[in-house]
Amino acid sequence: MKIGLFIPCYVNAVYPEVGVAAFKLLKSLGLDVDYPLDQTCCGQPMANAGFEEEATRLALRMEELFATYEYVVGPSASCVAFVKENHLHILENAGHVCQNSEKIYDICEFLHDVVKPTQLQAEFPHKVSLHNSCHGVRELFLSSPSERNIPYYSKLRDLLNLVKGIEVFEPKRVDECCGFGGMFSIEEPEVSVCMGKDKVHDHLSTGAEYITGADSSCLMHMQGVINREHLPIQTIHIVQILAAGL
Amino acid sequence: MSTKHAIAGARFIADEAQEKWHDETLWMVRAKRDKQSRLLPEWERLRDLASAIKMYSNSHLDTLLEEFERQATANGAIVHWAKDAEEHNRIVYDILKQQGAKRLIKSKSMLTEECEMSPFLFLRGIDVVESDLGERILQLMGLKPSHIVLPAIHVKRQAIGRMMEEKLGTEPGNYDPTYLTHAMRRHLRDQFLQADVAMTGANFAVASTGEIVVCTNEGNADMGTSFPKVHIATFGMEKIVPDREALGVFTRLLARSGTGQPITSYTSHYRRPPKGSEFHIIIVDNGRSDILADADHVKTLNCIRCGECMNTCPVYRRTGGYSYTYFIPGPIGINLGMLRNPKQFADNVSACSLCLSCSNVCPAKVDLGEQIYKWRQKLDDIGRANPEKKLMSAGMKYLMERPVVFNMALKFAPIVNHLPRFMVYNAANAWGKGRELPAFAKESFNDMWKKNKVK
Amino acid sequence: MSSKEEILARIRQHTRTRYEMPDLTLDAITYEDKVHSFVEQLKAGGGEAHLLRPDETWDEVIRSYYPDAKRIASNLQEIGCATFNPDELQDPRELNGTDLAVVKGLFGVAENAAVWLPKQTKHKAVFFIPNALVILLDRNELVNNMNEAYRRLAEADYDYGVFMSGPSKTADIEQALVFGAHGPIRVTVILK
Repeated sequence: MKIGLFIPCYVNAVYPEVGVAAFKLLKSLGLDVDYPLDQTCCGQPMANAGFEEEATRLALRMEELFATYEYVVGPSASCVAFVKENHLHILENAGHVCQNSEKIYDICEFLHDVVKPTQLQAEFPHKVSLHNSCHGVRELFLSSPSERNIPYYSKLRDLLNLVKGIEVFEPKRVDECCGFGGMFSIEEPEVSVCMGKDKVHDHLSTGAEYITGADSSCLMHMQGVINREHLPIQTIHIVQILAAGL
Repeated sequence: MSTKHAIAGARFIADEAQEKWHDETLWMVRAKRDKQSRLLPEWERLRDLASAIKMYSNSHLDTLLEEFERQATANGAIVHWAKDAEEHNRIVYDILKQQGAKRLIKSKSMLTEECEMSPFLFLRGIDVVESDLGERILQLMGLKPSHIVLPAIHVKRQAIGRMMEEKLGTEPGNYDPTYLTHAMRRHLRDQFLQADVAMTGANFAVASTGEIVVCTNEGNADMGTSFPKVHIATFGMEKIVPDREALGVFTRLLARSGTGQPITSYTSHYRRPPKGSEFHIIIVDNGRSDILADADHVKTLNCIRCGECMNTCPVYRRTGGYSYTYFIPGPIGINLGMLRNPKQFADNVSACSLCLSCSNVCPAKVDLGEQIYKWRQKLDDIGRANPEKKLMSAGMKYLMERPVVFNMALKFAPIVNHLPRFMVYNAANAWGKGRELPAFAKESFNDMWKKNKVK
Repeated sequence: MSSKEEILARIRQHTRTRYEMPDLTLDAITYEDKVHSFVEQLKAGGGEAHLLRPDETWDEVIRSYYPDAKRIASNLQEIGCATFNPDELQDPRELNGTDLAVVKGLFGVAENAAVWLPKQTKHKAVFFIPNALVILLDRNELVNNMNEAYRRLAEADYDYGVFMSGPSKTADIEQALVFGAHGPIRVTVILK
């Protein structure tokens, strides 16, 4: 099982420790994981802003980078969802049959559905509030969307249950958007900030010390609100918890 | 780089108390909807069926509409066909003129709003009276609805009370909703009794029986049609359902989705006019037949106008219906506005964080969020792309297609962390409104990997 | 070309894939105790339910619920407390000021307390204009859900009919629920 680690642009630039944790976590589970050098971006920011064709060359580049890997695994649900859902037709328009779409996984989804570890070494004696990010929930189905009448499940919670000492909470509006939305955050800044504040306060009301989730982009947005408002909570990517102590 | 929606939305948010109330009240409706939907184990199956029935009926409009006309005519109704808004309004006016009617009592209909029928009739001397309580309040206040199911959700009781003091002589300072509602009941009772002609929309039109079905909680459609000798019912042609069995699916979904009730108080079936009365039915196209050819957006015709996509939309809840430039707000309104006139209504396309909650609550499974994504791809072609976003996208494209440049940029990026605050958060920096920027890492993941630091 | 022909031509020209009608069979919810569900749903929607005991008459029950009603409309033979027969009125407007009307429901729906009321009086206003409405219903005539309800109506012939669930209501002023927007402020279903 040869895994190519997919490190999205902003994780590369702002949260390299999330990438490191993802690598260590996969490695610790005895997996053959490699990072194809010089990755940049999957093209989601441009596409969500309305310039999908600007993602074409980036999608093609990702195809080349990961051509020899059996799985592509990344610590960012939204970017993974974009490759899975949108590279397919973007590349079709460019006359290329997308391979990554079939083999790409968010790291939580990959651990939960493919690797299926029964235990982890991690210990994290803290209260955390789960951030069920929109694309993680409604595109990758990492948890049951609150709109649907299907039995509750949460792949993130299942994984966190393997961590010693952790207490997991969820906000009241369990999977409402945090208001990031890529360029939405700067095209409609007041709305985006309002959503961000509401979301952080919902997480705060659980009594948690940390907000955790599978999407660094949402966490980045909420951390921006937390820092501006000096709120007593921090964000941490879920792989950093799962890899704690490695 | 703000769209009209972003500007109007910011204004709505500036009144923090009002914004919070609006958000929480509509969230409560969403929560009621969740509760109702979970009482039915077959909920998701019902959504699948509703969508499949609509896919069938909207791809068989030619045969179903003709069947409807045959049945309705056999029932004694008079069926009219309207290509567009103008023809629709003309048909209504001609019926009124023929009757010598001066007063039209009408229940809530998004279609008559779409056709801008009331102003058309007012100009011709017809007194159009809205009979839905919220709509009547707005009419007396000179305002437009801000939600398709909860039209006056943006108006506070004090404002309603003050208007009623002035126009209906209610007790000064009495803003109790029960008092005001019952005062409105008395006022509208007179209107019902004095009307010459009644008009309703239709939630469903049944092809096999030629009947139309109207759902209300107030009973205003039924009161309205109980006294005049003429009833005009109007519907957009996608309201057609094949038969009564199909109604079983939709009547289980509509109110549960829209208001979180198991059913509306009244689900009324109009089939034959009473003896000596006339029943006119208008089938309206007004652009719908064009949507049939648009593969990306044909599913908007599945919409049953329950309004739940507004209640669940985190942007709508925080910005209110007036922040949108199309008369139908929220996710469905963004899409319908673009279908109506993409250049004119492009400002609404920014009102979406692509959270996809709307697509998941929709009882007829309209892919609302996915369609908004598709509209964004078309903005550049119609000359309505945001120039700053376009520039940023092009810049990102340039950078991301050149890993060497990107990696170099990341090397120098941490310098940004040390820039003086005023340079980072100047007025042009939209992110800086309410948020701190993330700090760039001293070393990127790519660099760490190259230096063999990732182990 | 008439507007009708024009519209139909555009529909034919623009219709792409023609989808099949789905099979509508489904496992819809059923209730062990349909009467119980009906009563609970009716209460939740602001209505009142009364289970008629063998020692009670319709009139006694109606009187006990509405002791102050003066103008009582009904065309039902079995209702002695009616003060007038609404079918004798020429103009439905004359019904204004009616305190109470008594009508008969054909069947009820357990999932939402809707009662099927086909038009049974000369003026359908009898259902809507009184301040209160009493509906007589056979408790053996309850179906589980709306799918069953419409299957039961598949071939039914009526000029007008309404599924009525509880009193007229609105929440148009700040989402505060108020009964009696236009129609009956109270609705009582008496189940025999």
